[in-house]
Amino acid sequence: METTPKILIIDDEEIVIDSCTHILAKSGYQIVTAKNGTRGLEMMEKENPDLIFVDLKMPGISGLEVLGKVQEYDPTIVPIVITGFATVSSAVEAMKKGAYDFLPKPFTPDEMRLIARRAIDKRKLVLETIALRREKEMLREQFAAIVSHELKSPLGAVQQSMYGLASDLEDKLSNEQKNKIERLQSRIADLLKLVNTWLRAISVDISTIRENFEPTSIVETVSKAVENVQQHAVRKDISIETSLKEPFAPINGNEVTLVEALVNIIGNAVKYTQMGGHIIVTAREEDKKILVEIKDDGVGISAEDLPHVFDDFYVGTTKPEGERRSGVGLAITKRIIEAHDGSISVDSELGKGSTFVILLPILKQEE
Amino acid sequence: MANTKLLIIDDDPDYVDGIKSILDKADYDVDVAYNPKDGLEALKSGGYDLLLLDIMMGRGAEGVMVARKINKDPKLREIPVLIITGIREQMAFLFPGQPVHPRLLPTDALLEKPVEPSLLLEKVEALLKEAAEKKAKGA
Repeated sequence: METTPKILIIDDEEIVIDSCTHILAKSGYQIVTAKNGTRGLEMMEKENPDLIFVDLKMPGISGLEVLGKVQEYDPTIVPIVITGFATVSSAVEAMKKGAYDFLPKPFTPDEMRLIARRAIDKRKLVLETIALRREKEMLREQFAAIVSHELKSPLGAVQQSMYGLASDLEDKLSNEQKNKIERLQSRIADLLKLVNTWLRAISVDISTIRENFEPTSIVETVSKAVENVQQHAVRKDISIETSLKEPFAPINGNEVTLVEALVNIIGNAVKYTQMGGHIIVTAREEDKKILVEIKDDGVGISAEDLPHVFDDFYVGTTKPEGERRSGVGLAITKRIIEAHDGSISVDSELGKGSTFVILLPILKQEE
Repeated sequence: MANTKLLIIDDDPDYVDGIKSILDKADYDVDVAYNPKDGLEALKSGGYDLLLLDIMMGRGAEGVMVARKINKDPKLREIPVLIITGIREQMAFLFPGQPVHPRLLPTDALLEKPVEPSLLLEKVEALLKEAAEKKAKGA
């Protein structure tokens, strides 16, 4: 059953309070009132209303101040200002401070009811959105559990049996038959890798990354990441040039996850660059920050994909030739970088290549 | 290697079969226990040169319990252990504050399921060699 919407009215004029109460009570709302801003804020904390009507001009703290406090307390509460000096500028200012709507005095009962009803709908939508978002998070976590138990372990068992079978039949199979088994194994290996990547995406927990922070050299991190993708690059005849301008201050971080983040980006650069292409990885200190730039002359990212490349499970319209993608690599990378209080951005043009820039704060020296 | 006795403790028969085939082929003498209790008993009855231990068994990480029990027994501690698990990621949660590969036992190594034949044989050989060298030094 739905609860009765609760409305708080804050106004210093008793006649306004009385008439508002009268108008709204008829529409089946529960009304609470306050004669000034301070009292109003107390009532807000006690009653947790859905809507607040607040007079802009009151003795004591002003309506605008009340708006700010409401925002701070609970941004889902919908505030509406009542204004006796209905100028555009005061209304605009109130809206900027977070007011959802404004009610110019004098107003008719219908005007007030209409605004109240719209605002109640808005509050409902806001709360629903929050609930849905929470539900989505929960689904995500459950998905992780399902993937891990229901997919990963049977797949692993199949693969292990394949290994066993291949070993048992080694002397009995023709080369062609062995080749078939190998192909089966390689397809299962791909699937397992994909499942593992998904699991990884869901289990990157920022707080646990932060527990293992220590002074970390960015030079070493970049070198390890480049080494990791080098083989793939060599196969595609892509050159990876690194330019690391030392000396670097260390950053406070976790090398393992930082290497992973960089491998995702440089690996992508290799995936999305044609044979014979070039990748340049540079790192330098800039403005108390370490800047790492990964630039390729590959296929680039289309303007429509660009805003979404860091989203979970997003795969863009540009498909790399003969490569697999999980749609989570960059999402993981972003989460790792953000856990390091850093930021990541991308600039790209279709057909011209992409440039990823990572900024990480350098470790503050103890004084 | 026919005289080298290995024991697998794992509750998933498919994994056991897959792993055993590879080890049989390499001429190891392989026994299997499908639960921690039988496994510990077999281990105590003696004669094993190496244990392959699964971590996630039964109602949770029962392999960890096995490892702890082995660790408390001065004789069993001598046996090298190859931990085979599908849960490298979660290991960190079982042993908070420790590196991803927690040293459960004096001589051990960790492999992730499924295990490739060449990698499995390589690790088994390395652990046996390490254990033999240790024994030679102690003697």
